[in-house]
Amino acid sequence: MKRAFLGELEEIVLLTVAALQEGAYCASITQTIDQQMGRSISFPTVHTTLQRLQEKGFVASQMGGATAERGGRQKRLFTVTVAGQRALIECRQVRVYLWEQIPTPILNLWGA
Amino acid sequence: MGSLSNDKPHNDGLPERRTSADRRDSARRPPRWATWLMSRFSPAGLEDELQGDLLEMYAYWVKTNGVRAARWRYGLATLRLIRPFTPSIPKQTCYYSQPSSFHPAMLRNYLKIALRQWRKNKLYSAINMLGLSIGLATCLLISLFVFDEFSYDRYNRDADRIVRVVLRGTLNGEQIREANVMAPVAQTLQDRFPEIQSTTRLRSIGTPTITYGDKIFRDTQFAFADSTLLHVFTLPLLKGDAQRALARPNTLIISQQAAKKIFGTIDPMGKVVALFDNKTLYTITGVMANVPPNSHFHFDGFASMTSLAEANSSNWLQSNFFTYLLLAEGRDYRQLEAKLGPVVETHMLPPLEKLLGVSRSAFRQKGTNLGLFLQPLTDVHLYSDLKPETELEPGGDIRYVYLFGAIALFMLLLACINFMNLSTAGATKRAREVGIRKVLGSERNKLIAQFLAESSLLTSLSLILAVGLTWALLPFFNTESGKELNLNLGQMPCLVPAFVLVGILVSGLAGSYPAFFLSSFKPIVVLKGSNTPMGRGSIGLRSSLVVFQFFISISLMIGTMVVYRQLHYIQSTKLGYDKDQVMVLEGTRVLGKNETLFARQLAQDSRVSKVSVSGFLPNNRYQTGLIAMQPEGQEAKLTRLAYFGIDDQYIPTLNMTLAVGRNFSAAFPSDSSGVIINQTAARLFGWTKNVLGRTLTNPALPANGGKGKTYRVIGVVNDFHFRSLHEQIAPLVMVLGDNSGSIVVKFRAKEVTPLLASLQRQWNGYGTGEPFTYSFLDEIYQSMHQSELRTGHLLLWFAGLTIFIACLGLFGLATFTAEQRTKEIGVRKVLGASVGSIVSLLSKDFLKLVFLALVIASPVGWYAMSRWLQNFAYKINLEWWVFVLAGLLAVGVTLLTVSYQSIKAALVNPVKSLRSE
Repeated sequence: MKRAFLGELEEIVLLTVAALQEGAYCASITQTIDQQMGRSISFPTVHTTLQRLQEKGFVASQMGGATAERGGRQKRLFTVTVAGQRALIECRQVRVYLWEQIPTPILNLWGA
Repeated sequence: MGSLSNDKPHNDGLPERRTSADRRDSARRPPRWATWLMSRFSPAGLEDELQGDLLEMYAYWVKTNGVRAARWRYGLATLRLIRPFTPSIPKQTCYYSQPSSFHPAMLRNYLKIALRQWRKNKLYSAINMLGLSIGLATCLLISLFVFDEFSYDRYNRDADRIVRVVLRGTLNGEQIREANVMAPVAQTLQDRFPEIQSTTRLRSIGTPTITYGDKIFRDTQFAFADSTLLHVFTLPLLKGDAQRALARPNTLIISQQAAKKIFGTIDPMGKVVALFDNKTLYTITGVMANVPPNSHFHFDGFASMTSLAEANSSNWLQSNFFTYLLLAEGRDYRQLEAKLGPVVETHMLPPLEKLLGVSRSAFRQKGTNLGLFLQPLTDVHLYSDLKPETELEPGGDIRYVYLFGAIALFMLLLACINFMNLSTAGATKRAREVGIRKVLGSERNKLIAQFLAESSLLTSLSLILAVGLTWALLPFFNTESGKELNLNLGQMPCLVPAFVLVGILVSGLAGSYPAFFLSSFKPIVVLKGSNTPMGRGSIGLRSSLVVFQFFISISLMIGTMVVYRQLHYIQSTKLGYDKDQVMVLEGTRVLGKNETLFARQLAQDSRVSKVSVSGFLPNNRYQTGLIAMQPEGQEAKLTRLAYFGIDDQYIPTLNMTLAVGRNFSAAFPSDSSGVIINQTAARLFGWTKNVLGRTLTNPALPANGGKGKTYRVIGVVNDFHFRSLHEQIAPLVMVLGDNSGSIVVKFRAKEVTPLLASLQRQWNGYGTGEPFTYSFLDEIYQSMHQSELRTGHLLLWFAGLTIFIACLGLFGLATFTAEQRTKEIGVRKVLGASVGSIVSLLSKDFLKLVFLALVIASPVGWYAMSRWLQNFAYKINLEWWVFVLAGLLAVGVTLLTVSYQSIKAALVNPVKSLRSE
């Protein structure tokens, strides 16, 4: 299988799924991104991104958790698969590697 | 959020209950339309989660952004999430990638499988390919024919701006539809209407003799033409100046072909030739490219109109000139046509009043009304309603073009049907293959691609074969259809994409049904061993396709038989005169006074039985005079009659018979004012008895103190057909004298060649310088019905081919049925069935279909052919046995086709058929 490419949006959604753990479903993910990143991503976009992630095999899903808030309707709960985990780790490694290449004086200069 | 959730009914999908409950705080509900949309068009499998998530999101949006923004976002999100903008459940993860259907490896695989299939089923592939290529070749041939017919006169740059002035109307109740008009029409119209950019006239002069030096030519067609000819028509001059070539009197332009024939390699420019006789000399001022074959005239040369005195005539009653108008850009000819009425009123009607001797209102009442009309140049060949004998050349007929076009389409359809039939019939054989492929993970669209690839491969091979076949058959088709078609890809570059398009179309048409049908098999059903995965439906479809094929073939067969019977009728009907062993010596007018002498001299020959001098002959090629006469007792009525000038030998030479009275005779000097009328004329005048001695007056002749010449009827000739059988026999008068023009020779000799040689010797003895030309009366008669003969021949071929294609398909089907029922036949034989009963068992099914086709085809054929026969004034009756014969033929052909397979199947030893498995 080809190494699946993880887009920026996909990465964020996947990270949010990982962060939310058991409570990761489409509405909660959208709200989390909205609140914590101050970045407004529309609900349908998150939905399609999740579908794409599932097609690529980075998340798995199961139904469950009907609550009164949602009119007694079931949620689709997402969990990160092993492939998803690996993709995230790899992603982070690439970033860390790149960060490490920036000379320390410059980082200091940035105030980072 | 809590307050929202409380009043929400928990698990219902019924919108009306929810809305009634929610009305209390409707402002805080999501938009109802969006909720409804979501409940109706939610992607399959995602209903619950999406609706629930959206509700949660709505509450969140209301909290963070306010109600308005929330409703807005909810609506937008719904629109994006409903079908078809969002797919259903996410596709299953596929760990094995599927190659695309067009991957080179797949294509190679399709090819390999197709070749293996062909090798395995050689017979069916051959039948398929043969049928398809014959169908395609016929289709191609006919398309060439049809395109050629439609391309007539389009070579002219301004073809859509050129119109022809024609004459239509009635004269004494008789229809006038003439393609040529009077000499002054062109100039008058040009002066009066500024929208006419240019005009030109043609006056055909047939094939006059041309003398150049000591060489004489007589097979080049000439016409007089106005100097504007080259403005109006696109006839490029290779040599000479187009502006001035035809301006001066006695100038001539000739075609390249004529130049080569007359002058060989010498430059013809400025050379002098003599036309007609040795007196009138013409200077060649131009050489033009040959007139294209798809033109409504084919002159080899044009002489300047200024040489012809008649061209300046102001006679508005003599129509001889083909008149063409070039309209200014963007002008509609119908508008101009509407304005032609006053021109006729001021110019044509006054002389007509004078001729007929009554006022215009009087003759209008009696059914005389003439008018000038316009006909677009591009309509001349196919859509002309004018009398063919007034045209420059016989034209085409749009109905035949449509007929052949339909045949072409049907042929192609039949070939495609064969393909479909054979592929679906052979489905049993491939059912297992499909099953195995599906089990091994092949998707349906891959299978469809494979079957389509097979059919398109077969189609492209057939197409190549068809092009070869067309190329080989073209000379034959040209002689049958009288055309000069060629299959030149360089000349017609549009043909290549057309071929590709046809190929795609045919492979799609023929291949798509089998592809979808075969690929739909369910692997479990197919692999369980049941031999017939096809339902009744496909058998029904196959049967109706066979019925359709035979419907077309039987209809064509009926058509061909009727056409041939009518042709036979044309050949064998009693014409009222004898056309066999009669020779016509043409152009004897040049002999002058010696014409009669020559005729008498010919009569001396022992091989010649009778000789008559007359320029009037009973067929369309020769003129029929027209004369207006007043019959006795009906003096006020001027009747237009056909007119023959004859001598006393005419009636016996052509073996006509008289109903009453006698022939002209030298013994009665008073016969110079005698007249012989035909039975139709007698009936028209109402002269049922005592016809002899009645009189007819011709007021146009100056005699009898201005009252006109009076003729006394001395005989009534039995009606004879002096026109083609399309036309009713018209009233006719025959008078003595005025008969110069040609000599009619009735001969008894079986060997014509020595007689001809002797006639030519005698002709040359008169030293007129004119070549000796002759024709045979029966051949002229034949040529009058040329278009029917051609249609008959072509129809015969096409009917034969359609039957052939239909039988190919039937043969294939019969083979499959026999194979499928091998075991059944074996069991039947073991139980004591005879060979005969098995053959009839196998043939019965097909015969039923053919009978059904016959039942459908008979009324259709009857209707179409009775319409066709309406073209003829004299015709056969459509008899029932034609339909029976067509049916018998079809049944016979079917039996022959099917019986080979059924007998073969019936003769197989049951041990062999039952042993297997």
